[in-house]
Amino acid sequence: MYQREWTIDQPDMIAYAGATWDWHKLHYDADYLAERGLRKPVVDGQVFGAYLAIALREWFPSSSISELSFRFKNLVFAGETIRCVGSVTASSDEIVELDLRVEVVADGRTAVAPASATLRLP
Amino acid sequence: MSSLLTPALAARIGEEVSYTAPEPLGRAAIRYFALATGDTDPAHLAGDVAPPTLICETNQYAGLPRDADGYAGHGWHLIVPGTRLVRGGNSYRFLHPAGPDTVITAKWRLDDIAERVTGSGKRMLVVTSIAEYTDQERRLLAVNEETLIYVSA
Repeated sequence: MYQREWTIDQPDMIAYAGATWDWHKLHYDADYLAERGLRKPVVDGQVFGAYLAIALREWFPSSSISELSFRFKNLVFAGETIRCVGSVTASSDEIVELDLRVEVVADGRTAVAPASATLRLP
Repeated sequence: MSSLLTPALAARIGEEVSYTAPEPLGRAAIRYFALATGDTDPAHLAGDVAPPTLICETNQYAGLPRDADGYAGHGWHLIVPGTRLVRGGNSYRFLHPAGPDTVITAKWRLDDIAERVTGSGKRMLVVTSIAEYTDQERRLLAVNEETLIYVSA
């Protein structure tokens, strides 16, 4: 079992919003969030793809990602720590296949699942 | 009970739109994305190679105006009364990495709209879009199948 954690603070979210040109108010606007009954800024779901990609490269440094799929289950909010979890389901000399998920460390709720990846080995 | 999938919505299946970046991706954009995500790959941090999911973030080359929510990216702007929109998921295939000199074109296709019922009995529309990302040599870099869900309120 492979694991990698990130704490996603508001500056991280602002940096990601800037890097992706995504200025949606869900990610920073307190009034906009309050009108929708949300207690804190919502983490951009696409960042979990980036986190999973980083985790996969750290777990298998010489590999490259050929496929990565994920489904969103629950919102994640500013200040929360998430954990990417991976387990190998198949491997050969050429590829590694993994089941993945992203969970919130504090309460264990699932942020992303099911998820999977296929890596190419050199 | 009327269907969420109206003839007007069904007629939109198959729509396509393309966005081509007005400039190469650039080393700074790559470094910025790597820093924002806490990336540890030296090639990403140096701006030499784009992290794989960066090229699937198309707002930067869509060139679209910001909407009332502050969003300035691609969308189909489907009108589905009495629903709320949630993200379903993404399925990426990565074929070739992008670099700072890559000029990306994203071609989106509205691939399917299907009506389903949730486990709790709510009706929903599952909208599947497929984006293909190519470089200035028309080489396919990545494919992104994205699912958005309109759930009855």
